Amino acid sequence: MAQNCIVCGIVEGRIPSKKVYEDDAVLAVLDVNGSTPGHCFVIPKTHYPIIEHVPDFDLGRMFVVSNKISSAIFQALNVHGTNIFVANGIPAGQTVAHFTINVIPRKENDGVNLLWQPKQLTEEEMSTVELKMKEGIDKAGVIEEPKQRSQSKAAGHSSEDPEEKNEYYIRQMTRIP
Amino acid sequence: MTAQSQFTPEQLQALQEKIKNMSPEELKEFQKKQCVFCQIIEGKVQSKKVYEDDICYAILDINPANPGHLLLMTKEHYTIMPQLHDDEIAHVFSVAKMASNVMLRSLEAQGTNIIVANGVAAGQRAQHFMVHVIPRKEGDGLNFEIPQRKMSQQEIDDAGDKIISVINSIPGGEEMITRAEPIAEFRPKRPIDAEFEEVKEKKPKARKKAEGKHREGGSKGADEKAVSDINLDDIAKLMGGK
Repeated sequence: MAQNCIVCGIVEGRIPSKKVYEDDAVLAVLDVNGSTPGHCFVIPKTHYPIIEHVPDFDLGRMFVVSNKISSAIFQALNVHGTNIFVANGIPAGQTVAHFTINVIPRKENDGVNLLWQPKQLTEEEMSTVELKMKEGIDKAGVIEEPKQRSQSKAAGHSSEDPEEKNEYYIRQMTRIP
Repeated sequence: MTAQSQFTPEQLQALQEKIKNMSPEELKEFQKKQCVFCQIIEGKVQSKKVYEDDICYAILDINPANPGHLLLMTKEHYTIMPQLHDDEIAHVFSVAKMASNVMLRSLEAQGTNIIVANGVAAGQRAQHFMVHVIPRKEGDGLNFEIPQRKMSQQEIDDAGDKIISVINSIPGGEEMITRAEPIAEFRPKRPIDAEFEEVKEKKPKARKKAEGKHREGGSKGADEKAVSDINLDDIAKLMGGK
């Protein structure tokens, strides 16, 4: 734990927070200075400054939890959308040196801006970037495929109550733009 | 969104009626046919693919926020993130992490943004789930804004209580939390110089030595020379982190 890290302070309980989710590795709290009530932070309990430091297993859990909170926000807060947002490094807008996933409830004209003006690249520039990325990825290695496809969401639910499962997916469909 | 303008109002109405009567499976099949990204994945539409595995597919955005802007998609047609299975989410974001890492090394990016938009209000434009991974540099002209608003503790607690009241009814997560074994593990061909053990120990000097050790299983022929000069710990230090 880093001494002067605010996020570690939240994890340790030195700084009070409203928790919405907690397990042994991941904590989710509400942002006190967020864009809107319901704006959540999903944080690893261990002090990892940027995403590259977070082991894959913990990272996977963090994003699964983020997704869960995003779904909960949809259901509970009557919003029109959610964003999952990560800023990695100061130029990207990171302000605290503790890796954080933002889950942001969205409504039209809420002042949040995560859009961009497209940059026009020449065909040559595109090809250069493509080549650099391909080479970089090739050097980086392979991501192992999941060992066993879990069907927890679909199968797990259908065995109990197929109606409920269908309901769930239909509800998801209604959110589709 | 895509094909609607080609229809007359009567056809549109018939179509809407048809959609209403579809089962979720049929609906998904229907959406898939309309989806340009599914066609990209099938190779019917050209794209600049940079990565592919059994689950995901990554292309360069042709309207990038910055050069190198990556669209990381699931091969399966999902519209929004809540439709994905947990292991797919874990896998997709471990690929996103790898892409972010590659951007820092190969594109000399100084940071990255990872963005998912669920719903039009959130800025979603494509009807296919995707993760945007955007390389960032100082002064690149991008300005993502998340306004900070002073909220009362009451407001925050109310929103929190509402979320807590439904969160346990949402499927997903259970298996990952109890599962001892990682679902997907990133296996680098060479060591990543920012392993978490060293961060915890705060011994950046000892990095070179430790590199070989902690990737027992994964590092096939770890090559120290291939390690890039870009040090992730330095990037982390810029953040004021220790």
